[in-house]
Amino acid sequence: MTCRLRLGDAGIRPSRKGNPLAVPAIILALVFAITFLATPTLGGGWYWDLGNGLGFLALAGLLFQSIPGRRPRDIGAHEWLGYAVFAIATSHAFWFLLGDPVVRVYLAPGAPAHMWLGLAGLLMLALLTLLARMPDRTRIHPRYRSFRTAHRWLAVATVAASVLHVLMTRFYLSGWLQALLLTLLALAACFGRRYWTRLRSLPRPAPAAAYLAIATGAVGLFALLRNAVA
Amino acid sequence: MKALVAALLLVGTLIVAYGLPGADPAIRRAPRFGGTMPVLPMTFLHEDHVTSNCVTCHHEFQDGRRQKPCMTCHVTDPQVMPLLETQFHDLCRTCHATEHAAGRPAGPTRRCISCHLPDDHF
Repeated sequence: MTCRLRLGDAGIRPSRKGNPLAVPAIILALVFAITFLATPTLGGGWYWDLGNGLGFLALAGLLFQSIPGRRPRDIGAHEWLGYAVFAIATSHAFWFLLGDPVVRVYLAPGAPAHMWLGLAGLLMLALLTLLARMPDRTRIHPRYRSFRTAHRWLAVATVAASVLHVLMTRFYLSGWLQALLLTLLALAACFGRRYWTRLRSLPRPAPAAAYLAIATGAVGLFALLRNAVA
Repeated sequence: MKALVAALLLVGTLIVAYGLPGADPAIRRAPRFGGTMPVLPMTFLHEDHVTSNCVTCHHEFQDGRRQKPCMTCHVTDPQVMPLLETQFHDLCRTCHATEHAAGRPAGPTRRCISCHLPDDHF
């Protein structure tokens, strides 16, 4: 979930300039915009679209968390936002499990690959969250550098599973252009480390409350456009 | 935090294994339509599909392989049995999604329980 760097490593100075909500808002907007590229009026009904809106919200949060930020002062925001992303991803899963009694069949043996990938993504996100907490973190990784490496690569695997879960479902993102754009966005978030760390003003983690506020609007708009307008 | 995640995992596993409390017990994979392959129940209302061309679904009208009910062939023929889910999802959902995207009355496009209901007449 994190790709944090030591400020000294990249030789950059910390800057508190810039709106902390700008980068998460842009990533959120990009993720939702990509879903509307092919069939903007295609929906699965209010219930289904709200549940999937939560899923896209979690994905956007995960991508934002993968961008390196400044430390150590922003670690707290990164941690709390991580809890928020995990809560939203869990809500996405339980939304369908509790609201549609057939969905459980698609998580049992014989389920399609995209559902296994979604489940794997959620489990890895749980591990990512739990293993980053003290004192377990220092128990497993006495050295910060080894924790950072493990945390980064587990985050990359989580993003990969989540993106594949979305793409292989082939509902909102059914076109090749959408698949390409989401893949590029995920790659930029996970592997654009060199680019991000060269920015004078690195994106700061947004407060979880602010993120949730704009996120609620995004999910509502996502479902509204696919149902009320269609 | 660990206890919360463990509890969520346990609840999720129980729901997947046993279903939601109070849910219709018939909504599970079981041998149906005269076959041995476990499949979910399905429902279909002809009166909701009168604007569609019959042969869009009833290919047996053209190829002469009539068998009643139509599902029997799909769950007993070893050549098409493995394709049941893909074929029906593609046929039903593609048409519903196309109609929905065009802003026309479309019926369910995604919600599983909308179609996977017990129906003795299907």
